[in-house]
Amino acid sequence: MSGLHTIVCMKVVPMPEEVRVNQETMLLDRANARSIFNPPDMNALEMALRLKEQHGGTISVVSMGPPFFEKFLRLALCMGADHVYLLSDRAFGGADTLGTSRTLAAAVEKIGRFDLLMCGEESSDGATAQVPPGIAEWLEVPQVTYALELELDYFNRRMQATREIKGGHELLQVRLPAVVSVKMGVNEPRFLDWSLRPWGERGDLVTTWTAADLPVDAEEIGAAGSATIVDGVHQAASPERRRELLAGTPQEEAHALFERIRQYLGER
Amino acid sequence: MMSEYTRTGRKKLWFDLMSEAGIAAGDDDIIVLNDDSWEQVMAATHGEAAACFQCGVCTATCPWGLVRPEPVIIRHLMRQAQLGAPGWTEALWLCTTCGQCSAQCPRGVDISSVIVALRGLAWGEKQAPAGLPTLMWNLYWDGNPYGRPPSQRAAWSDDLGLHEFTAEDEVMLYLGCTANYDQRIQKVARAVVQVLRAADVRFGVLGEREPCCGDAARTAGHTGYADEIAANGSKLFREMGVGTVVAISPHCLDQFVHHFDMPTAFRALHYTQYMGQLIDEGRLRIEGELAAKVTFHDPCYLGRRGGDFESPRDVLGSVPGLELVEMPRNRDEALCCGGGGGRMWLETPASERFAEMRVAEARATGAEIIGTACPHCVSCLEDSAGSSMRVADVAEIVAWALAKTEPAAAEVAP
Amino acid sequence: MTKSIYGPADANGVWVYLEHEQGRMESVSLELLQQGRALADALQTTLTGVLTGYALGDLPAQAVACGADRVLVAEHPMLQPYTTDPHTKVVEAMVREGRPDILLLGATPDGRDLAGRLAVRLRTGLTADCTGLAIDAERRLLRGDVVGFGGGIVATILCPEHRPQMATVRPGIFAQPEPNPGRSGEIRPFPVELTPDDAPVRVLERSVSDGVDLTRAPAIVAVGRGAHGDLALIEQLARLLDAEIGGTRVAADAGWIGRDRQIGQTGVVTAPKVALCFGISGAIHFTVGIEKAECVVAINTDPEAAIFEHADVCIVDDMFAVLPHLIEELSRLRAEVGAS
Repeated sequence: MSGLHTIVCMKVVPMPEEVRVNQETMLLDRANARSIFNPPDMNALEMALRLKEQHGGTISVVSMGPPFFEKFLRLALCMGADHVYLLSDRAFGGADTLGTSRTLAAAVEKIGRFDLLMCGEESSDGATAQVPPGIAEWLEVPQVTYALELELDYFNRRMQATREIKGGHELLQVRLPAVVSVKMGVNEPRFLDWSLRPWGERGDLVTTWTAADLPVDAEEIGAAGSATIVDGVHQAASPERRRELLAGTPQEEAHALFERIRQYLGER
Repeated sequence: MMSEYTRTGRKKLWFDLMSEAGIAAGDDDIIVLNDDSWEQVMAATHGEAAACFQCGVCTATCPWGLVRPEPVIIRHLMRQAQLGAPGWTEALWLCTTCGQCSAQCPRGVDISSVIVALRGLAWGEKQAPAGLPTLMWNLYWDGNPYGRPPSQRAAWSDDLGLHEFTAEDEVMLYLGCTANYDQRIQKVARAVVQVLRAADVRFGVLGEREPCCGDAARTAGHTGYADEIAANGSKLFREMGVGTVVAISPHCLDQFVHHFDMPTAFRALHYTQYMGQLIDEGRLRIEGELAAKVTFHDPCYLGRRGGDFESPRDVLGSVPGLELVEMPRNRDEALCCGGGGGRMWLETPASERFAEMRVAEARATGAEIIGTACPHCVSCLEDSAGSSMRVADVAEIVAWALAKTEPAAAEVAP
Repeated sequence: MTKSIYGPADANGVWVYLEHEQGRMESVSLELLQQGRALADALQTTLTGVLTGYALGDLPAQAVACGADRVLVAEHPMLQPYTTDPHTKVVEAMVREGRPDILLLGATPDGRDLAGRLAVRLRTGLTADCTGLAIDAERRLLRGDVVGFGGGIVATILCPEHRPQMATVRPGIFAQPEPNPGRSGEIRPFPVELTPDDAPVRVLERSVSDGVDLTRAPAIVAVGRGAHGDLALIEQLARLLDAEIGGTRVAADAGWIGRDRQIGQTGVVTAPKVALCFGISGAIHFTVGIEKAECVVAINTDPEAAIFEHADVCIVDDMFAVLPHLIEELSRLRAEVGAS
């Protein structure tokens, strides 16, 4: 039976405020950081769920990461996704966006036919926004980045997408299949459907693939498949601020403030 | 014969059936009666929903009728629940679960539990108002409704030198999400700690491990998640050997009393109840004088719903020099502050806030201070009182008396 | 290892992809010409501007005046407005022929859209949204600084073996060049071969507002949740200060300000002389947007608001109580200045 087949790529990321730089090793220390879904990926999944409500079909979630990702990905099942593919292998580790997008694209090739592949615009950790266009290139399909809204014309194999550009937005017509990266905050992700929780625990709903399962060579994935390396990290320094407290009545405070910002006026 | 399950294996709900019958949810002319949802409402209210005979007293007593030109017609919501034909109207989410309707209902129906059950059905149909799914995710990821980092839960209290609860402590002091993350309510927590120490109570806290009580999820109608929170919380309390828990918020107290699964010996108290005990035992002696006129606002979850109007009054009565005056609507007739039932996380226009009326009522008594015993009441009343009146939790008033100081003008909330 | 089309031994030149809108060069492209010039000089090589579009007017000449030694110009109706596939195809062809060492693009939505696809097509490395660029003279490598983890961590990225070393650069970080019309440079048309099959995406509508560019605003008045949507006084203040109005994600979500005025991690990063923040709590994903301000003023009723850690001047008070007095003093000053 035909129907809209959507793939949503999702990532589990550490809570940003809990990541530190180990001052001795100068490496990132995520050991004590709790994990969450990458927030824009939740927006992408919500958009996919709404399209499923409208057009029917199925949603497959694909994620590349260590085994602990599984319990997070099962949450997507409880939101309404139909299947989860977890790509988990040490060989995938150390990949930059070139290696990561190659790996995800290979999994999509193996899954087979899809109409839409959706991702969040960027991940809150690396924040490159490069994986969605990378996947689109590997799969040789069109891309729409920073999408705000989609309207599918499923039977004509195309869609209209509203996309954010600098200083405004544009309306695009795009042939399917296509890759869409979704702007963060465009919708409010639904919470888990509690009645789906038992179903979300079923073993047959999660497929785990290793490097051997995917149509890729060892040199295309992981560190071997990467072109960039990290040459040092440090904790971001915020500039030291004066933190001068003005007190008094509102009028006095306004006057004191006025005195301090006068120098920034003029030069018209 | 049509399957009971959707293609993806999910049990069909009433809207699936409607959609199969070609009826769009929200078609006003057509009411599809549904046995499943009726059963759910009956289960959630322990059969009480059946007792309503549509007299309308609930509609007349609901405080929403005081702030809106048209009252919220609770009678209709009850009827919809009985027919198993829930309507997803705005009215469903206005309820603060204050319980004023139930207090007046001639059949004693627990009406707010019917409303919460209807909310549960609305979640299934994705009809929860904007902002509430985010609230649930905040609880899920961060363990608090504010979406604040879990690692910062206990950060504010470093200077208090609180120690982690062990079974040797007399009580476990449960601070709660609001006391941990809301700067205003942290002051209430500090006052409670001060008073407990003055009485030489050996108490411990759970620190960063302290779980949310789940009230936000429960009153928003997400019973399944609220039950999981309560189950996990109960397990933690049992593992840690908690015998008595003292709560700052009556909402947390309600969860511990009615939804946590604890051994029979377990006791959950509001801090005013515990302080009353300490006063009776002579452990807490308030010698400093506080010459102030105070009117007490009964929190719905301590008073009407908790059944305790006197504990906070007894504590206030033990403060030398304090004159207690009552508002016309006191005890079981107290006007809700507007913060319960999930309303703390939904926007209420200023003209519709119950607290505005409550503060006016308090001012009319001539009191200088509104005393109360709930974080949500403190927030809502202070929002409306502005600088016109002081709002203080009972613990803060006691702490002032203990410190033998008068509340300084500079401390009045902006 | 996945190899790029050519390696460091065959690579030469710093290239900058120049973005433009309705006949005007994007500010970030001018900033890249300035920075690109510095990188090219450090490597003792040339700076090439890449212009793809249609009816480009004097943009190529402008690029030369702003520091490019050479401008490759590809003009074709299918290149206007920007869509991914035709631009990727054309720039790929240019790169295959010219073999640059470094290729920089602005980290605008279109810039990142193009860079992400192009980097994979070229099988090369791409560093995203750099806030700093430098040359490692010894290894002749580009060093890109990037911010991650919500703004808390800065990492330096290298692309040692693959070419071109690609990077998108955050707008507003670098200064703009002083155009020198007397500068000479080569403007070279680049042949374009495109068919309708090369364009699976069609632009039906494109609307760009008259350009509020907060990244270049010298003064900013920003509002957050505490403003409760009431911007009348804020607008008055902004007029008196000749300031742009910006705000937090909360303000944009609520529709009090346009999305293009949202400041912060997923909004705009600004560098004004003065930024006045009203009713803003100061979460890190906002403060990264005003970090570069010379002077930050914060007004909030909450004495423990995080914004005060990031401010030079702090007022713990109701913004609506302070604003009328501030406006009054500024109006008086303006009247005096006007009169003299």
